[in-house]
Amino acid sequence: MGQTDEMRSQKDDVPIRDEDVDREFKYEVADHFGGEGLLRCLKCGACSGGCPVAAVTDYRPRKVLGNVLLGLKDLVLSSDDIWMCAACFTCEERCVQEVNFTDVITILRNMAVREGHASKGYLDMARTVLQHGRVVPMTHAVNRMRDKLGLPELQEPDMEELSQIMSSAGFDKILSIYAGRDTTE
Amino acid sequence: MRMAIAWGCLVPSRRSLIGYEAATRKVLEHLGVEIVDIPNETCCAPFWMQSLDVTTSLALAARNLAKAEQMGLDLLTPCSGCFHSYKRVNHTMEKYPGMKQRIQEILRSARLRYEGTVDARHLVDFLFTDIGMDEIKSKMVRDLEGIDLGLRYGCHMLKPHELLNIEYSERPIFADQILETLGATSKQYTGRHRCCGGLLRGTDDDLADEVLRDRLLDANAAGVDSLVTVCSLCHIQHDMGQRIIKNKFDIEDLAIPVLHYPQVLALAFGFSPKEIGLQQHTASTSTLVAKLRGEVKEGGGA
Repeated sequence: MGQTDEMRSQKDDVPIRDEDVDREFKYEVADHFGGEGLLRCLKCGACSGGCPVAAVTDYRPRKVLGNVLLGLKDLVLSSDDIWMCAACFTCEERCVQEVNFTDVITILRNMAVREGHASKGYLDMARTVLQHGRVVPMTHAVNRMRDKLGLPELQEPDMEELSQIMSSAGFDKILSIYAGRDTTE
Repeated sequence: MRMAIAWGCLVPSRRSLIGYEAATRKVLEHLGVEIVDIPNETCCAPFWMQSLDVTTSLALAARNLAKAEQMGLDLLTPCSGCFHSYKRVNHTMEKYPGMKQRIQEILRSARLRYEGTVDARHLVDFLFTDIGMDEIKSKMVRDLEGIDLGLRYGCHMLKPHELLNIEYSERPIFADQILETLGATSKQYTGRHRCCGGLLRGTDDDLADEVLRDRLLDANAAGVDSLVTVCSLCHIQHDMGQRIIKNKFDIEDLAIPVLHYPQVLALAFGFSPKEIGLQQHTASTSTLVAKLRGEVKEGGGA
């Protein structure tokens, strides 16, 4: 994940070439549950208009949708843009075509994760959950504070059920893509 | 009234958030609602997990729903992220039979079963719809007149409405109405319905800061005694993030207390700021507490 503006913006000045286009990409995305609305997109830009991230950067949901519809699979899946959605669902509420952009982003992220482009931050959170059952591990300090406020002792998460679920859902396989990678990059 | 309750990962385990749990427990007890914690609750695997793998996310969230179903109770949660996760499981199971089968198959491998019968409820919606303003008013022991609040509904309690089915999602008023019933003024200000960038925290901190800066500037311009958040991420952003924004963007006069929604009710029900953890917040709540001590009238519900 880049944190600079240069890395965020896609290359607008390069013409799109046939070899960059995967004509099946949009159907592949629309085939996933939640992605059905993609093919209805009119590229009207209502999504970009209400986007809180677009208000402070040059990220535009409409551009992501446009690139998906064009078939720029490699560009879309490897770009930082798909990780810039804050999931506020405003675009989803306002879309006259019921595209459900946030669902489309989820599908794109899931695809990107399988190609090795997961957000490091989210991956770290998932590892924490796999290890502790919660995204914030309990500490003695917090337990003391809970005690002081008269709160009951927090129950330990059921790790057996949690690891079984994550493994049956195939999450182990996803993590194995990232095994051995330097996570401190 | 008896409900299962899921607290989520953040609420019970962050210094500035445990007051959310304390206030929720006190408010519900005061209103006669019995709550049963989900046994050995695990992470609800919200949007960030969904971003990595939607199937894992749904199956993990279904685990806590399965526990509620086993107890024969509906599931209440104060966390908007959890609420969204649980609603999404039910919605997906209803709309996509293939996914329902897949989720159930995964649960079976952990000797769990979920049929989809548990209604997931958000605390604030529950207070408004099931308890109601008359009941809340009748349980008041202090009037919060003179306190100006800036209420942030956050995104995940409301949007998308098709999934959550609460109330019109872009200009809601139900949670403002409760605050006004308590005597406080819920100030309408620009930007209060806009996203705080909470989900970007941890994956793109600079971006999370940029989005948050605008929200805090909006709130500061509104001149409220305190912000009030519903969502745990909104609280982390506005409360813990306030110092970051103040220093990073050199905003000298930024010092806004940020309350959790049920803390406001708890104050009106007579609980002390200390009992509900106001001293634990990162942004000092002392100006608000002083104002409450000086101005709040005792003993009036009407």
